[in-house]
Order: sequence, then structure tokens, then C-alpha cells
Amino acid sequence: MKKFFQRLKNHSRIAYFSFWFLLLFYFVSFFADLLAPYHFDHQFRNKPYHPPTKIHFVDSDGNFHIRPFVYNFVIDDPVFRTYKEDYSLRHPLKLFVKGDERRIFFFFKTNRYLFGVDQPAGIFLFGTDTYGRDIFSRILYGGRISLSISLIGVLISFTLGMITGGIAGYFGGITDQILMRFVEILMVFPSFYLMLSLRAMFPLNLSSIQVYLLIVMILSLIGWAGLARIIRGMVLSLKEEDYVLAAKSLGLSNWRILLFHIFPNTFSYTITALTISVPGYIIGEAALSLLGLGIQEPYPSWGNILSSTIGNLRVMGDAPWLLLAGIFIFVVLINFNLLGDALRNVLDPKNW
Amino acid sequence: MEKTLEIKNLSVVRTEKKQSTLILTDVGFSIYKGELFCLVGESGSGKTTLALSIMRLLPKSFRIISGEIRVNGTHVLEISEHLMRSVRGEKISIVFQDPGAYLDPLFTVGVHLREAARGKTDNQQELISLALKEVGLEPEIQSAYPHQLSGGQQQRVMIAMALINKPQLIIADEPTTALDILTTRQIINLLNEIRLKHHPGMLFITHDLKLAASIGMRIGIMYRGHIVEIFRPGKEKPNHPYANILMGTIEGKDIKWDLDTDIFEFNRQEIVGICPFFERCPEKGQVCKRNIPFLWRDGQTGIRCIKYE
Repeated sequence: MKKFFQRLKNHSRIAYFSFWFLLLFYFVSFFADLLAPYHFDHQFRNKPYHPPTKIHFVDSDGNFHIRPFVYNFVIDDPVFRTYKEDYSLRHPLKLFVKGDERRIFFFFKTNRYLFGVDQPAGIFLFGTDTYGRDIFSRILYGGRISLSISLIGVLISFTLGMITGGIAGYFGGITDQILMRFVEILMVFPSFYLMLSLRAMFPLNLSSIQVYLLIVMILSLIGWAGLARIIRGMVLSLKEEDYVLAAKSLGLSNWRILLFHIFPNTFSYTITALTISVPGYIIGEAALSLLGLGIQEPYPSWGNILSSTIGNLRVMGDAPWLLLAGIFIFVVLINFNLLGDALRNVLDPKNW
Repeated sequence: MEKTLEIKNLSVVRTEKKQSTLILTDVGFSIYKGELFCLVGESGSGKTTLALSIMRLLPKSFRIISGEIRVNGTHVLEISEHLMRSVRGEKISIVFQDPGAYLDPLFTVGVHLREAARGKTDNQQELISLALKEVGLEPEIQSAYPHQLSGGQQQRVMIAMALINKPQLIIADEPTTALDILTTRQIINLLNEIRLKHHPGMLFITHDLKLAASIGMRIGIMYRGHIVEIFRPGKEKPNHPYANILMGTIEGKDIKWDLDTDIFEFNRQEIVGICPFFERCPEKGQVCKRNIPFLWRDGQTGIRCIKYE
């Protein structure tokens, strides 16, 4: 493991950075309960479309304070929802602030979070949405869904693709024919419409957990076909390799050869394909959410945070901070692509 | 004497685009316990096909149409695939031509050796270090990847894998072709040491008659899927015209025969009812245009030529 990091670092600094960056993203969204200043459905009814809170060191009179503080924002014009800062009271930023009780991972209860300010002021790093919910907190919570859907989805479609493609390629003949025709049937449908029709098979009023699982299923069901075809092609050529003949001459069974000698040799490709396909899942989930078929309010995902702005140009113009979720998607995609590219070279022993 | 390998009337056909070609025709010989039998022939004469037939690892387009192969009495061609798997690596093992290609690039030497000795769970590590010691490698080499080793080391690893289960028959399919002269010597000496120590039957396949003549106890000469002569080098001179030509080349004689024929195209031509060497034979006559059986002299050597019938 240590060697792996060393190789990754030597191969590409950028990919090494991407790796830690992604790990940080996963970490932050995993501990969103502790890190987010507000719960994802906590509404500040009097603060819709609140702009990002400014963090001050210097107060309105020009005095410097070591401890950063915020001013409470009050509505200036209720029609256009413009805000102005109320300079009468400073609200210093506090660590491990007390607030509403939340459950962490469904088991523990806590009422202390990493940072926050006292009421009535609020700290909205990325502003708030229509209902006065903190976008920063929602992005942290939304990362849980967006990042985990991609990971689980990729694992499912990876497994399906490996098994189907591996069996088809290795055993060939009629098995190959049947499996590949089935895969082709899956592939002829435009994936987006297939996704929509699959979603349409299920009722709309599902609980959020059910919807979550459903989306994972749908996305991975669509994603595995292409992978299966490529794996089949690779296995087809790898099984003619001399070392496979050597493995056979040691008396290894077909399954053992397929699992321990052929599959590992496809990994240099599949791991890259895997990391590069991760973004597809995030976007797929975002697309479903955008159409209102994905994760439903009040549960946040990066897709549905973004979708709440689409179709309302005025909001896009007046509250551009709502588009920040898109930047998060973008950054994660880029990092996955960079990492995937580097992993192919790093995982090949010939490059060590 | 105990027969380790016994092949009788083996014929193999390759079907490609609905066209069948005889790759091996009526091959038969035996290898005794502790014997080093060399099989010599040009490229495409069917040496590797023979080796893979014994292992039952022929590609799908090949089919064994007749014959019998016994390894220590076991009918290799008649047992189930499941049983055959326990024969491969346990009773017969094979050392291949290009060790670099026959070692899985993703796994260390240790993994390869553990795969070879996977049946022996209780004293696996012991067997591995013993095998490594026998082929003259340090135990530390287990953590190395194949591409980090030299050709000679790779071939030693292959040999260690082959002998780890103490097989009764070791097939060496041109094990030295990819190696330089000195390494070739080392590998040959190593194989010989192993043979003298464990007494497996050894089938050594090569295209280098000089090498075969210097190490083999008996040499079988193959030509277009036929064994044309089996003789004891050093004790007797080969008699078959083809064998004579081959011996002539290593003795540096100037030989006259067509070298222009495309060997591969030539080998694919069907030869039925005619001596396989007919077209190129300097001593051919009308009598050669018929099936010529393999004639055993004393059960161990023999010739396929009309002159000695």
C-alpha cells in the first residue's frame, strides 16, 4: 500500500493530489452530520435566497478582531429579496457550537457541530435556497448520495460486466453468443431513455432509501453492458496468452485460470474504465434528479440541488450560488478522470 | 525397463476452414524411466503439437484422431478432464520455450511457485525453497516479478515450477531456444542434474540436432509429422537420408537440396501413400511412392525408410 502511494506520487503528482482530494470529499460527506453547520432540511423561513455570508475580521467601525465574526443579514427589500448586513451586533464564529440534536449514522445523537454562529445570525457559506436552507450543508449531505451512488453503482456494474464478459470470452461458443446478444439488446436502447423507462416502472411515492437503491440499480444495469463487451474482447485475447497455457499445464481449473490469471490481467484496463465511468453515475443521478425522478426533496443530492435552479432564469441570475453544486460535480469528475488515467500505469508491474 | 511414456500410433488433425491437415501421422515411441529422449525436427514438423497432445492441451482446432498415450500406465487420452487436471503438473510437467511469455507478468515468482504446489498445503513453503535451491536460485527471488529476471533466471523458475511436484515425466519444449549459449549450457546441465537425481522420463524437444546429439540418450527425428528415425547418438550413425542431411549440416558438409521451398506451405500439403520425405530425398526412387511403416530394430531404435525394410 505504501509502495502504491509512492508509485502514484512518482508517476503523477496531479493524480496523487486527486487521490487525496477525492478521499477528502468522501471523508467530508461521510461525516457531514458533524461538519455541516445545519441539518439539510433545517429551514430559515425568513432568509430565502440568502447570499453567502461574509466572514469579517474588521467591524463596521474599522476595529480589527482576531476572532472572525459575521453580521446578521436582514431583508432589505422583500420583493426582490435583497439583504443587508445588520452592523449592530457582531456574531463571532464558534467551534463545536451547540445546536439542534442530530443523529449520526442513525445511532449516536449529538447537538454539537464543528462550527457555527449564535442565532439569529446564520452562517451560510454558499448562501441559501428558496426555503432558506443552507446550501453548504446540503452539498455536504448531498455528497453522501452522489458519491456513494457512483461507488456502489460502479461496483455492481463492474461485477456484472466482469462475470458476463469473462464467461462469454473464456468459454466462447454458444455461451458467448447468448450472453453477447443479450448485452447487445441492452445496448441498443439509448441509455438515457432506458433509464427513464426503467424509473417509470416504479411508483413515484417511494421512500428515499428505496429511491436511492432503485437509482443505483438502474444506473448499474445500464452501465455494465459496455464493460462486458470490452472484458469479453480482452479475455478472448488473453486466453491465448502463453502464460494461460502454462497455467493450464499446471493443472489449474478453468475457473481458477479465469479468476486468478485472466481477470487480474484485465485490471489495468478495468480500473481505468471504472474510475472514468464514476462521473457517469454522478451525472446519471443528477439527470434523474433534475427531472424529478431521482432523490426527492428534502433529501439533497448534488443533482437535485442543481435541479432546483434549472427552469428559473431569474433565480440563476439573482442567486448564482445555487449552481455551486455543479462545480462540485465538475471537480469530482475531473479528479476521477485524472486518477483513472494515472492508475493504469501505476498498477502495471512492468512500470515499477 | 519401466516405461514412463508410451505413445502408439498417434495421429493428430488440424481443421481450419473446413480443411483438415494431418499434423502428426502414426507417431509412436516410448520413454523409459530416467531417460532423456530428444525430439528433433524443423519448425512446423509437429514437435510442439506432440508435447501438447501428451498434456491434452491442444488448441480447439486440433483433434487427436487415433492413438494411445500412456504415462506410467495411465491412459492419458481416455481419462476425464477432471482427472487429467490432477495429472498435469503432478505427473507430467512441461517447460516452455520462451519463459518470459509463459510467466504471468502480474505475479511474483513466489505466487507462481505456490500455484504449482497448490496441492501441498502442509509443506508448501518447504517444497518451494527446496525446488528453488535445486535450480540454483536464492529464496529471495520469490518476491521478484518475471520482468525483473534475466532469461536464464526465468527459465530456472519455470523448471522449479515443473519439478516441484516431482513429476514422472518432464517435457521440455525447446527450453533453450530463447537463451544464449552459456545460459543454454547451464540450463541443460540443470535438467540433466534433475534427471539424474529424481529419475523422471524426460522428453527434450529441440531443433538443434547438435545439442540433442550431445545430451540425448536417444534421438527421434521428426519430419512433417512423422518420426523418420530413432537412433542412439554416439553409438550408431543415423541411416535415414533426412537424418544424414541434418548430421551433415552440423558436421559442416556442403549439402545440396532445395532450401527455397516455403516450409510452412510445404508442411501443410497432404502426404498420403507416399514417403513424407519423398520430394526432397536425394535417394528417392519409384519404390518410395507408397506407405512406409516405421520399422523397429530392437524395440528402441528404428527407421522409416524403404531401403531398410
